[in-house]
Amino acid sequence: MTEDGNRMIDEGAPVQPPGDVDDPSRPGGVLEPYEVFRQEKDGDPMRHGGNVLAPDPELAVHYARELFGRRGESVRLWVVRRADVNVLEDLDLLQPPLDRSFKKPGGYLMRDKLAAARGRAGTSKPGARAGSHAGTDRRATR
Amino acid sequence: MTASLAALDARTRTALAGLLLSMADDEFVIGFSDSEWTGIAPILEEDVAMSSIAQDELGHARAFYELLAALLDDGRDADALAYDREPEAYRHARLLDHGRGDWAMTIARRFLYDTADAARLASIGDGWPPLAELVAKIRREERYHVMHALAWAHRLARAGGEARERFVAALEALVPDAPSVLAAPEGEAALIEAGILSRSMAEAFAGWWTEVAGTLGPLGISLALEPPPDPARARAVPSDDFRWLWGEFTSVRRSDPRATW
Repeated sequence: MTEDGNRMIDEGAPVQPPGDVDDPSRPGGVLEPYEVFRQEKDGDPMRHGGNVLAPDPELAVHYARELFGRRGESVRLWVVRRADVNVLEDLDLLQPPLDRSFKKPGGYLMRDKLAAARGRAGTSKPGARAGSHAGTDRRATR
Repeated sequence: MTASLAALDARTRTALAGLLLSMADDEFVIGFSDSEWTGIAPILEEDVAMSSIAQDELGHARAFYELLAALLDDGRDADALAYDREPEAYRHARLLDHGRGDWAMTIARRFLYDTADAARLASIGDGWPPLAELVAKIRREERYHVMHALAWAHRLARAGGEARERFVAALEALVPDAPSVLAAPEGEAALIEAGILSRSMAEAFAGWWTEVAGTLGPLGISLALEPPPDPARARAVPSDDFRWLWGEFTSVRRSDPRATW
């Protein structure tokens, strides 16, 4: 619930607050984690602030307000029940083992290979090419 | 402030001072009383919420005491007004003379007080600009307090079992004193004439009770209500609970009255 994550909560697991286990009339209720996103000022992205434990969405919003908004540090909060978040954490999908750098906006990571080739050829690094967008222009006008 | 004070006649000033003192004492007493939950509320998040609300109330009390200090201009500042009186001189409503009790009692008291306080704040007119401006700010914070109290009232009432039993018992114990918050202040006619009050407390009371009944009715709770007592009975004769609380909140101040904090 703190911004530096001092109180981590297990993934989506409901928490039984300390009721009285020997007294069925005091079951304690079930608390669930809610993730809180906050916006510092209009136009900023919503950033993850942390989480709160609450028994229902209404109190979750109250607690989010107290922990992430009472000092005037937010103009908007999103409070999301963690169980409602669709999670993807499959590393086969997220961190594929083969080189997929060609899918990055910068294309293949050629810097190291180029440096090695130049070393072998004994040439120095050429200056920045003028009109580096020329290729794009050609494609756009074709 | 000076110009707006000069515009008030002596009768209105006296009535305004009484109104400010009762509003300040109400916020001060419930703020201190609810701050007792710090560290021991049902869950950590609620601990933060209740402590924050209690701090809000103390902040409102300070703002009212500051206005009162300017009005009285007798050398006492907000701290002196808040701390340097005997228990008998406090003018908080009888509703707040009850100790915080258990969680159900605290929620029942907050629910009755916050809704009544909202009705009172909605009755402040623009006759004295410093108060009107302050109340406009306070109402924006109190809106949240009412939301918080309602959320808990619904939870306890719908929980059934012991939670509901305790909550209903707390409401029944407190409701005879709840109208004290909206007892007509002394000199009410002068305050209405000056536009400091935009309506009588009797009107505020009727609106408040309709709202409370409208909240509790769907929860299957009906409470019998007496009309507000006169101001002398509404805000006097401190209980043992309050004397204990007074001993707590004045203890540091009394430990060295001449200290500079």
